[in-house]
This record gives sequence, C-alpha cells and structure tokens, in this order.
Amino acid sequence: MVPTATSVLLEVQGLCYSYGGLKAADQVSFHVDRGEIFGLLGPNGAGKTTTICCVAGVKRPQEGTLRFAGADFTPSRCAEQRRRLGVVPQELALYDGLTARENLQFFAAVAGLRGAAARAAVERALELAGLVERAGDRVSTYSGGMKRRLNLVIGCLHDPELIILDEPTVGVDPQSRNHVFDALEALSGEGRTLLYTTHYMEEAERLCDRVAIMDCGRVIAAGPPPRLAEEAGIPGENLEQVFLKLTGKRLRDT
Amino acid sequence: MNLLHATWTLARKDLRLYLRDRTGMLLGFGLPVVLVLTFGFVYKMAFGRQGGMTTTTLWVADLDQTDTSRAFLSALRANNMLSVRPRAGEDAAGADALRSKVEDGEAHHALVIQPGFAEELDAGRFPALTMYRDPDRTLEAQLVSIALMQSFFHAADPQQAAPLMTARALELAGLPEAWRERMQALARGFSGSVEALFLEAQAQDLLPAGAPGAEPAAPDFSTVMRGLIPVENVDIKPPDRPKELSYMLAHNVSGISVMMLMFGLVACGTLLIQEREQGTLRRLLLSAMPRRSILWGKFLFTAIIGVLQLALMFAVGELVFGVSLLHDPATLLVLSAALVFAVTAFGMLIASLARTTRQAEGLSTIIILVMSAVGGAWFPIQMFDLPLAGEIVAKCTLTWWAMSSFQGMFWHGKPWTDPSMLGQIGVLLAFGAIAAGCAGFAFRRRYVEA
Repeated sequence: MVPTATSVLLEVQGLCYSYGGLKAADQVSFHVDRGEIFGLLGPNGAGKTTTICCVAGVKRPQEGTLRFAGADFTPSRCAEQRRRLGVVPQELALYDGLTARENLQFFAAVAGLRGAAARAAVERALELAGLVERAGDRVSTYSGGMKRRLNLVIGCLHDPELIILDEPTVGVDPQSRNHVFDALEALSGEGRTLLYTTHYMEEAERLCDRVAIMDCGRVIAAGPPPRLAEEAGIPGENLEQVFLKLTGKRLRDT
Repeated sequence: MNLLHATWTLARKDLRLYLRDRTGMLLGFGLPVVLVLTFGFVYKMAFGRQGGMTTTTLWVADLDQTDTSRAFLSALRANNMLSVRPRAGEDAAGADALRSKVEDGEAHHALVIQPGFAEELDAGRFPALTMYRDPDRTLEAQLVSIALMQSFFHAADPQQAAPLMTARALELAGLPEAWRERMQALARGFSGSVEALFLEAQAQDLLPAGAPGAEPAAPDFSTVMRGLIPVENVDIKPPDRPKELSYMLAHNVSGISVMMLMFGLVACGTLLIQEREQGTLRRLLLSAMPRRSILWGKFLFTAIIGVLQLALMFAVGELVFGVSLLHDPATLLVLSAALVFAVTAFGMLIASLARTTRQAEGLSTIIILVMSAVGGAWFPIQMFDLPLAGEIVAKCTLTWWAMSSFQGMFWHGKPWTDPSMLGQIGVLLAFGAIAAGCAGFAFRRRYVEA
C-alpha cells in the first residue's frame, strides 16, 4: 500500500535509539494509516517498546523523524501533541487504593476533560471495560483481567487520535485476553487507529490489518500478514513461520 | 534436604540478595556508624573531652577598667563553667549592647562591671555588678552564680574577699545585718564557729521563724551560694511569656515538631517513587498535563499534610501542656509556612534522587537524624558554647534555623517582623528554594528527559 497524505496518521522514519552501546532501535521506519490496527511484532528485546516510547514521547529519538497527520511530531517536548495519543502501558498503571470510577475520573482530569464531558467519558470507559457493576469497588479487589481492562480503557478516555498499546495481554488468562480483544475490536469498530505491540503472532494475525516485524532493533518486514507470507515464499503460512523464515529462529527461542 | 541444609540455603539466598543491593547494604551498615559519629561529635562539642559539666556563655562589659576589674574578668575567663564573651579579637560591648543581646535572645546572662568596682572593694564593700538576665533560664543562672563566686574569690585580695563573702553568707543565712562588723571580725580571725553564731542567734530569737515545733532554721546553702556575690539583677523577658512555659518545654515542642515534620514529609515525598514503581508515573508523563505539575502536585500535597501535622502538634502542645503556643498566630503561620516549604522541598529532593522507596527511606533517616542532632532538635545545642567549627556545621542544617526561629517565637516572644526572625525565615526559604531547584533538576534529568 502506498501511503497518501490523507491516509497516513503516523509516519516513523529512520528512528534510532541506543542505551549506551546497545542499539535498541536502529533505523526503524513504518507508517500507521488512519482507522487501522497496526501491529509491531517481535520477540522480547526486539526494540518494540523502545520504538513506541519514542512515538509516545517518553523518550526523545536520537535520530530520525516522527510525523503525525503530516506535521512534525515531538511529543516528548509538547504536551499538546501528547494529547493526541492514548497510551496503554504494558504494566498495570492504576491506583489500587481508588475505585475504578475514581481512577477514571482522575485520569480524565489529567487528560484535560472537565464536567459533563469527563462524566460521559468515564461512563463510556466503564461500559467498554465491562466494569459498570464494580465501578465503586477498589481496584485492589479486582482480578488481573479486570485490572487489565481498566488499564486499557484509561488510555482511551480522552478520545485520542492514536491509541498505542504495549503488549496489553502479557500475563493475562485466556478469558480476560478475549475480553481485551473484544474491547480492541470495539474501538476499531468505532474507527479508532491502534498501534499494537505484541510478541504473540496469533494475536497479530487476529487483530492487525498490517504488521511490522522487528528483530534486533530493526524492522525486517512490514505489510498485511498474508502478503508477508507471500513475500517470504511461504504463502498461506502464519506469522510464526514467516518470522522463522526471515530470521532463522523461532520466536520462543529468542 | 535436611533442616540445616534448607536453612542455610535460604539464608545464603537472602545474603546474596542483601549484598547485591549495595545502597541498602551501605545504609544498613552506614546508618549506625553515622549516628555514633554524630552523637559523639555533638556530645564532645557540648561537654568537652572530659564529659563533665557543660559551660554556659556569659557576656561581660568592664566599665571600671582597673587592674582589679581586669583581674576579675580574667578569673571569669579562666572559670571552666563559663565561656566569656566577647572573646579575644571580638569588639567589646557596652552595657546597652549587652541589654540588647538579652532582649534579642542572643544572650541569656550579661554582666556589667560597673565603674567604681575597685574603689568599692578597697573600701571593704561589695562592688557594683549588674546582671541582665532571662529569669527563666534557671540552669544557666546557677552555673553563672557559682562561677561568679569562684571568680570573685580568686580575683580579689583574700583579705578583702573572705570577710566580705563570709559576712554575706551569714547575713543571707539569717544573721542580722547590724552584726556585719562582728561577722567580718569573726571571719578575719575565724575564732569562733559558724555553729556558735547560729546557736547564739537562735537563743536570741533572731533567726527566721520556722513552723511551730520545727527544728531551728538551718541555712539554705543553695541560696547562700547563689547570693554570695550581690548582683543587681535586671530581669528581661517578654511580658506575655506563659508562666507554664519552660525553656526545655518550648524546646521540646519545637524540636519534636520539626523532626517529626521532616519524617512525615519525606515519607510523603516518596509517593513520587511509588508512582514510578506502580507505573502510574509513566502514564502521567505521557499525558497532556505539564510535566512540572507532577512534581508540584506532590509538593502541594506534601505541604498540605505538613501544615496539618504542625497544626496538630502545636494544638496538642497547647492542650496537653497548657502553654500558650498560639499567642501569636501570625508569626506561627509564617514560620510554619517557611518550615513546611523548606522541609517539603527537602523531601522532594530526596524523592528525586533516590531510585527506590527503600533508598529514600534510608537516605532520609540518616539525614534527618543527623540534622536533628546537630541542629539542636533533640536537645538545646544552642545552650552550649560550641566551637567555631561546630557552630558552622550546626548552622549548615535546616533544623538549626528552624529551631532558632521557633525558639525566637515561643521563648523570646519575637514577632515574625523582628529583623532576626526575618533573617531566620529567609534562611529557611533559601534552604527550600535551593532544595526545590535541585529537586526539579533531578526530576527532569531522571524522569522527563530520559
């Protein structure tokens, strides 16, 4: 697919980031179209989290450029640009001593929502997370899956243009994982744009319109999953096999 | 696996974990060493190498400027219970300056050797001495009285001093003043015994009346000793100092409040680290809110808690001890605000520097305990005559300035507009501003610009 000015929401070009001598992201380039679910795939240590930290503004890229909706994007320095993003971190980032509603109210205020808009956003998030019945209970009493869902919807509270999800299903039981998938598909159904990192190839195949496969800090392939299999010379195979073909190693080996 | 082996396996694992946390290990072993050194240093400063009686400061102005008055002053300087000011190299102070020092709380006792000191002594009369003093500093008063007596005895001609002091002692014990010549004659020849005098006085019903059937009144040697050198005492103290308030009580309320405030606020400051450990800090950093507001939000929360803590502690002091801590609410408010600002900034600095809650707790424990001991929050180090190095170290602590300003309010009744109070408040605010600046810098380096 050739990106056009109107379809591209995020464009990452030649992004580099090193920790000392270790290159965590090395000339990473990809783009995310409006309304799609884009997957960043790769084993642990491939550079996915570093890449999305740069996109989200947690880290400042040492090289490369970011463009958002056609304009230069430096979220590490500009709060207003960060407002266009919703980030769902890998680890649970919640206040256990507060209820789900209180957590949502707090993060809605942090996102700049006030009054009726904030109340509506909180109620919508509770519904999306399936936590309406338990909204008044402290988070410390929740199961892991409930916390994971709450963690997810907090990132979407302020209706961001791009939702970035960093391995949101790590450590989640199958039932809760399906809840998370349902929530993501619901968001996608509303026309939201999602940038999704995972090292579970089957998740990417189920959810993502396009993926970029990363290994050792580099993007080694990008495109819709069926096309990646074709380009790898193994049409009809899954992404696990594509990764094996491209790198000579299994995901679980890394 | 037998019990012994299992036990050793577990212990070895814990030792490995303990040794791997180098900062924690350093704090675990370093804290006791730092505290031992701190207390040793403070006690040595306060009580000297021999660990004996402490010294107290006495400001002196010699308005007589004769050989006799200079000998008396030299004897005062040689007395090991006194640290006489001005020291060599310091400018001499006049009577008015000494009075001001007591009024300002800079001195608690100040002696003026009046003109005619030598002449009076030569004439067989006690010379004129004036003491400006804080009448409620009773511990220091006793030290000064004893030192005065010893010094006078050493400085004056024994043929003059002994009769004068003996006669004075007997007079204080109750013998009639009209018998002074006789008492002095007795002292010069020491031909009779003191007991004989008392017996004779008792027989003539000249001793102070005791309770019916009680034993004959015995001389109160405490009073006798303290009054041997007649000094005109000029008591200087704030008119509204509460009767129930003692120097130590005022010190304790201030000291414990300052120390506990520091512990409480540093604990609140570690919430920043908890935010990081539970992942919410990253979420806040990713939000559209100004990143500076994260630190300032913690600052505001901690400051609110600090104000409430101080208010509670002072209210308890007021209710339980019945002392009027709240007699000047404006000064209390200004001082509390300055202290809370300084301590909160200090807590934020520790929270910004430490990587874990454990590190923050260890670091703050060391710093707070050392500052409390050296700065005078535990015991009134301001009472002692510190060597210059000790004074410099003490004044480098936040607690010194906090204690000085609270004592200025509680004990000396100074309002916050008093120049000396403004200076102390200014130092507290400067401490806070520097700590807040460093905290902001550390926060940006560690969290924002990572």
